[in-house]
Formats: sequence, C-alpha cells, structure tokens
Amino acid sequence: MRALFSSLRDGKGFDISLIAIAMVFLILFSGAPLVYNAIMSFQEVDIFNLGTFIRPWVGLDNYRSLFADPSTLPIFWNTVVFVFSSIAGQFIVGFGLALFFTLKFPGAAYLRGLFLVSWVMPGLVVGAIWNWILSGDFGILNHFLKSVGFISENIFWRSDINYSLWAVIIANIWLGTAFNMILLSVGLAAIPRDVYEAAELDGATAIQRFRTITLPMMRSTIGAVVSLGLIFTLQQFDLFAAITSGGPANSSNVAQYKAWEMSFREYDFARGATISVLMIVVVMIASIIYVRSTKQEVRG
Amino acid sequence: MSDVIQIELSNINKHYGSFHALKDINLSIPKGQFVALVGPSGCGKSTLLRSIAGLESISGGTMSIAGEAVNNLPPRKRDVAMVFQSYALYPHMTVLNNLTYSLRIKGTNIKQANKAAEEIAKTIGLSDLLSRYPRELSGGQRQRVAMGRAIIRDPKAFLFDEPLSNLDASLRVHMRKEIRALHDRLGATSVYVTHDQIEAMTMADHVVVLCEGEIVQQGSPLDLYDTPANKFVAGFIGSPAMNFVEGVIGEDGKSVQLNFVHPQKIALNRKLPVGQKVDVGMRPEHLIISNDAANLSAKIAMTEATGPITYYTTDTTPELTLIQQGRGTVSTGDKIGLKIKPEHIYLFDKDTGLVL
Repeated sequence: MRALFSSLRDGKGFDISLIAIAMVFLILFSGAPLVYNAIMSFQEVDIFNLGTFIRPWVGLDNYRSLFADPSTLPIFWNTVVFVFSSIAGQFIVGFGLALFFTLKFPGAAYLRGLFLVSWVMPGLVVGAIWNWILSGDFGILNHFLKSVGFISENIFWRSDINYSLWAVIIANIWLGTAFNMILLSVGLAAIPRDVYEAAELDGATAIQRFRTITLPMMRSTIGAVVSLGLIFTLQQFDLFAAITSGGPANSSNVAQYKAWEMSFREYDFARGATISVLMIVVVMIASIIYVRSTKQEVRG
Repeated sequence: MSDVIQIELSNINKHYGSFHALKDINLSIPKGQFVALVGPSGCGKSTLLRSIAGLESISGGTMSIAGEAVNNLPPRKRDVAMVFQSYALYPHMTVLNNLTYSLRIKGTNIKQANKAAEEIAKTIGLSDLLSRYPRELSGGQRQRVAMGRAIIRDPKAFLFDEPLSNLDASLRVHMRKEIRALHDRLGATSVYVTHDQIEAMTMADHVVVLCEGEIVQQGSPLDLYDTPANKFVAGFIGSPAMNFVEGVIGEDGKSVQLNFVHPQKIALNRKLPVGQKVDVGMRPEHLIISNDAANLSAKIAMTEATGPITYYTTDTTPELTLIQQGRGTVSTGDKIGLKIKPEHIYLFDKDTGLVL
C-alpha cells in the first residue's frame, strides 16, 4: 500500500496516472461515441429501441439504402464543392493577406490582429451577419454588385438553388481566412531574411524568389493549413443552420448537415450514423496527412 | 591587380531617419584588389557593404561597379556575389542545388549547371557533399558552400560580410588563407567586412578603417600600422594594442613629461609647442625591457607565456602591455626599466586625436 502511494507521488505511477486521466477522458468522450456511432450504422435503429444497445444487426443495409436514395449523391457532391471551394478561397485570400502583412508598414501588426475578429466570432453570429449581407432585396452585396455593374437583377443568394451553396461558401471563406492568414504568417516569418537576400543577389526576381524560396520552404505549413482547413470545413455546421438550412430543395445541403437532419429531424438515427461514419473516414485521412506534414519540418 | 577601377564610391551618404550612418564615403577599388573594411561594431562597415550589394539604399552619392552606375539597379542586376555571416544557404536545397541556384535562375540547362557545380566543388573540396542538405554540414563546410555559390557566378566583385565569425579559432585561421588563396587564383575583386583587425591585416591588400560612419584612414596594412593618422587607428590596428599614456610637452619642447606613476620624462626626436597636452603612443614591441639607460620604470603585474612570445602587463596606471620573444627573462613582481627609441614614440593631440 505504502509502495503504491510513493509510486503515485514521485515514481512511474505518477506518470501513468497523468496519462491515464487524459486517456480516460479521450476514450469516454471521443473513442466510445465514435465506436457507438460506427456500430449504430450497422444496426436497425428506431425510436423504440433507441434506449437499448442490442438492436437488430442489418450489416451494410443502411449503406445500401443511403446510396439508393437519389438525394444522397448530390449532397455528397455539394460537400466536395463546399470543401474545395472553401479551402481554396480561404487559402488564397489568407496567403495573400499573410504576404501583404510581411510588408512593414505602420500599424501592420494591429491591422493583422483585427482580422482575427472574424475567427473569434461564433458561426451562428457570422451566419446572421451574412444573412443580412446576402439578403436578396436589401443586402449590401447585391447593392455593391449592381452599382459596379456586375449584375442588373438582384440575386436571391439564399433562396436561388444556383447560388444557395455559394452563399454559405462565401461566408465560410470569410470565417476561415483569418486562421489561414495567421498560420501562414508564422510560416513566412520563419524564413530567414538573408536567404531572400542571397536569392536576390543570385539574380532571382520577386516571382522567382516566391516560387523557389517561399513556396518550398512553406511546404509543411501549407500542408498543415490545408489539412486543418479540410477538417474545419467538414465540421462546418453553424453556417448552414444559420444561412440556408440546407435548402432550398437540398441545393445547399452537405453531408454534415444531412447527418444531423437524418438523426434529429427525421429520427433515422441509423442512416445519420452511416453518413457520419463515411465522414469520419475522410477526416481520418486528412488528420494523417496533417500529422505527417507537421512531422517533416524541413528547416536548416 | 591592375589600374582599372572596379568599384568606385563617391560621396556616399546614408541616413536612417536622423541617424547619419555613412558620411561622405569616397573609395576606389582597383580590379583584383582585396579590400578590408574594418572598424568597431556600429561603425557602418556592414551598411556600406550592403549598399554596394544594393540591399540597402543610399541617401546620396554615386556608386559604380565596372564602370556602370548602379545607384538605381536592384541587387540582382549588379552582378556581385555576397557571402553572408550566417551563410544564408538555401535550407531546402542540396549542396548541388545551392551551388547551381544562380545558374538555374538564369536559365542555364541543368546538365551544364551541374557540371559547373561539380568543377567548383572539386576546387573547394565539396565533391563528396553534393547530395547533402545544409543542415547536415559542419560550419566550415557551410562556409565553403557559401563561397562556392559565389564563385560559380563569376561575378564582378565578391562581398564578404564577416564570413568567419561563426567559425572556431583554428578553422578561422585556416579559412583566412583559403579565402585569400582563392581570391588570388580567381583574380577577383573582393570587399571584406570584419571587426577583427588581424583578419584585415593578414588578408587585405588595402585596409579601410571606419569609425562612426566615416573613413578615418585607408592604406596598406603595414602603412596603417606604422603611420596611423590618429589615435583611433593607432589603437585599433595592432595586437596587442598600442599603449597610451597622457603627457605634456616639456619646457625644452623636445621631451614629453608623462603622467605615469610618478612623472617620468622621455626625449623626443622633434620639437613641439611647450605645454601642449598629448597622448603618447608606444607599441608593445618597441618597449624594450632593460635596466641600463631606461626611460621608464614599472613593476610586472602579470605574465602570460604562450611559448614563442611572452606577454607582460605592468602594475601602473594606465597599465602597459609588453612583449618579449621566446621565454620571458623577467617574472611577475620584478621591477624593470623600459627603453624606447625617440623615433618609436607616437604623439597624438589630446583634443583632436590627430597624430603630431
């Protein structure tokens, strides 16, 4: 008994107990729900057997019926469009801003800090703001596009099936740009100034320096930003709830929102779980890429 | 070395806000010369070098390289190569790609560039390291890569910004010779910035001493050593440094009364205004330890024997440094007499610091 106590106080036992606390927490709140969710996707679940764990095993039936549903594939395609457009937009604007803020001008640090405002705001608040901006009749975006002559008729961003998904994408780009910018700024700051000077003396133009010095030296940062972007975009739920609710007619619906609709609107818990499992697989792959890209830091 | 001027600086001025970093710098560097810019930190030597490279803009004056005015040319069009203190190698490229970078930027085909790099590597001893990354190299090897990267371009001038300061002492001495030998073999024009006057003395044909943004003196290393223009140069050039003692010119005008332990008097070989306040400079090797007909007397406070040379420090205020070839003939605590020849006495005006 005494040995156990002393080991807990300053021996191996202390190390193990510290790890154990974190592990218990992870298993209880992340691991178990994941496994439970995966099991549910192979079961028949209805409102009556929801409280039990032993339910009829149906194998891959849930997966089959999900893909047989004609609305599923368009929703998955929307997810792909949403993820790629959001990441591309966030990355390009974020990188542009990060490069811009490497120029030392008065107030640069404050201005860069202000950009973080978009990142600290809750998704629902951002959604509400963009609802006003995107509003068809009196939204400022339509007003702006009309006054510069890009459009002649109001676009009903949230209720037109051609634009509804893009309404959410625009808001999501705005939301995620600051995060991209900060991570990329850190990566840029880690490149020593004299390496650029050496390249300049070696005859490289600004564009050549960007291509041969900046991009290759930022590779691990870019890998991290893009894979984190993929994870965050696949988690994006608030904006859909606030702006379009996946509509009209599923035109802006994506997998993560559909999973919630299935489970908590239609009470089809099994198929909701099935979509979640498919998404977990994608996020897992992204996580592996992320972990690998942060491991291979190439810096002299 | 020829008479053709490779780098010409006239009336170069540089201001950082209200700080005047470079003041009316005039300097002509003939083709093939090895010039050292030397001075204490903050004297503007690195700023001057970076201005020649184009990495710093200048506020006034004209600058030309190989006859072409470069004031408004960006660094990449000046065709000068620079070796940085930190080496500034491209960390994500192998040694081979570091060497060929400038050629690839110019659009030389890869095969030709690689062949050129292999030849350079052979001359500077990097052949076995071509596929390594900079992080896998030692300090001396990185230094060589930085040099190779400069040589491969065959530039109009080489600029060195304290390239040896990150190396350990023995490697530094070795690289000093290597850089100088390379310079001679290539017939290059080199500008070398250092705060280490020994480096400047041993490597350069022409030494430029800077202080507070001004050129205080320039000339061949031994000219600066033998005939310093002022007290700053006299104290800066030479190791161990020149000894300085305050003094006043005596009533005959041909001797100086030293303010040293108890007043001591030494004879001069020229006549100066009676009562003028001066700083008397005496090189350590000119102070000969001898008890007959001594000019000065002092007591040894410390002895440092290195083998071939023995250094002494006296217990006086100001303390004097003395050197003796070989093993010392006196030891700590001994009372000694010191002799100095009149022609070895340097006199500097107490107020202006100029040599008299």
